Amino acid sequence: MPSDEVTERGSSSGASAVRYAGATKRYPGSAKAAVDELTLEVPAGEICVLVGPSGCGKTTAMRMVNRMVEPSAGDILIGERSVRERSPAQLRREIGYVIQQIGLFPHRTIEQNIGAVPQLLGWKKERTSARAAELLELVGLDPDLAGRYPAQLSGGQQQRVGVARALAADPLVMLMDEPFGAIDPINRERLQNEFLRLQAEIGKTVLFVTHDIDEAIKMGDRIAIMREGGKVAQYATPAELLMDPADEFVEDFVGADRALKRLALMRVADIDLWEAPLAHVGQATGEVRAKLSGAEVPYPLLVDSERRPLGWLSERDLEGAQVPARPDSPLGPLLDRDDVMRDALADLLQGEAQYAAVVDHEGRIDGVLSVEIISEFLGSPAAKTEEHSATERPHG
Amino acid sequence: MASPVLVAAAGEVGKGFFHERTSESLPCQAKPDEVFCFDWARDHIDRFGTPALQHIELVVFSVLLGFVVAFALALLAHRQGWLRPPLLALTGVLYTIPSIAFFFLLLPITGLGRDTAIIVLAAYTLQIIYRNTMLGLANVPDSVKDAARGMGLTERQLLWRVELPLATPEIIAGLRIATVSTVAIATLAVFIGAGGLGTQIYGSGNLTFPTSVIIAGGIGILMAFVFDGLLLLAQRATTPWRRVRPA
Repeated sequence: MPSDEVTERGSSSGASAVRYAGATKRYPGSAKAAVDELTLEVPAGEICVLVGPSGCGKTTAMRMVNRMVEPSAGDILIGERSVRERSPAQLRREIGYVIQQIGLFPHRTIEQNIGAVPQLLGWKKERTSARAAELLELVGLDPDLAGRYPAQLSGGQQQRVGVARALAADPLVMLMDEPFGAIDPINRERLQNEFLRLQAEIGKTVLFVTHDIDEAIKMGDRIAIMREGGKVAQYATPAELLMDPADEFVEDFVGADRALKRLALMRVADIDLWEAPLAHVGQATGEVRAKLSGAEVPYPLLVDSERRPLGWLSERDLEGAQVPARPDSPLGPLLDRDDVMRDALADLLQGEAQYAAVVDHEGRIDGVLSVEIISEFLGSPAAKTEEHSATERPHG
Repeated sequence: MASPVLVAAAGEVGKGFFHERTSESLPCQAKPDEVFCFDWARDHIDRFGTPALQHIELVVFSVLLGFVVAFALALLAHRQGWLRPPLLALTGVLYTIPSIAFFFLLLPITGLGRDTAIIVLAAYTLQIIYRNTMLGLANVPDSVKDAARGMGLTERQLLWRVELPLATPEIIAGLRIATVSTVAIATLAVFIGAGGLGTQIYGSGNLTFPTSVIIAGGIGILMAFVFDGLLLLAQRATTPWRRVRPA
């Protein structure tokens, strides 16, 4: 880890790096530390997910940042400042806090809930109201909800308000403790996506606690996998974690299907595609046949003058002298370079196709993705995990 | 307890007691089977005015005093957890002392009159107000407190801005019970010379002349309803979030 990280404290994006320096939490009467000499650095503007089985100390580690749990030893720095420099209450007003149970104030309106920290900071009423309206919009809620009470909102709406409330005073750091854990799966996915979109806009430093490795992989720029006794088993980007688990514990925790999980992290553009033998309407079939020999894809792809794919040519299409205008086989799945690999594989399997044309933003042909490419990728040493898991996969 | 004190106390009380009695003879020559004498009621309704006002005064001051003390005790116990069991026991013991005995006990210290009555009546409200305040504070969801602390509310801000507003329904429910029962118990204040509706119930001959008892009792019931209604309105006014239609 680089020791002198550039922090953006005071910049308009308002995010600070968080550095654990040997942070330890021991509870009296307990022999084992809840968090044991935790040292890791979360660069400014990144989402760091703390993940692990229950009792691994991930929530304790997170709650030490805003001193909801006082470290017994070591220190935590936000930017260059130790969390001990300020009183807990002052410190917490600079740190967004989102919890699973949401904890909205039932007796306050949505606007008052969002305005809770601004009120503590002594903002003027007009500024607080304007900020609340702005944040409601930012988290995708109707600003008309401002006057409602929390009980009048659905769970998903309440958690959006929870996020808005945490963002109200533009905190340097956000702490999120299983924020979407109590939301039904469909809404959870929606909230996750919305938060990632929001994060792309606001670029906060986020510490995100979850026990769900899939959520960790989806949300994290970096993931700290923790094991019982409050130790970090591995701290890495999701891709590194999936490709190169540090030990058996991480491997088990990440899961036997980690190769498939890697597909969720990749885009079609990240993999080497095959080149398709291209054919144009009216072209001599002899020319096309010549291209086929030695090509990775055994069928020619018919494209228009702009190199936009029209369909696959069959053996019968090549019987004439010229390439016909209407190809025998439909195009099948059409992929975009920016599609996530997992979705691309799903499209292939769903279309019962071996090959799929991949196009760029203009719709021009970029290459061909085949089930074989994916299967080779999954079977490569980097992606291969355990034999038994690979045999269960519907590839090949 | 030294018996001379009690004897003296009884004498004092007796003085107060007989002081209240009226010398007039029973105005309505009620037939033995006549429960309520309308003629008498019509002619003498004004004699209930002063006792009713005294009664209101007794109830308002004793509930206010009881509330201040019980609320302070509850906040103390809320902050210092170890105080909860002893305070609950203390308020419980006060609650079990028979009212008349309680008047006698205080007599040597505070003497006859309104103040003694208010102290005793306030003591009876402690238990219910204290318990309900503690209950209300205990019912505040942990997640709300966690979120409040996590946002940087100090313990004092948490108490006044979050916990107490959310405990208001239980606190007012306690006040309602305390007030209604005080309206009833305050009729005994007559024995300590504090006046009130008790004068029209326990006064000379009244117990054998039901009309006065019924009117005084009726005023008491009406008063209890009015107090209860006012507190209910106060509860509704202070807790608008409780009446919203859930999503």
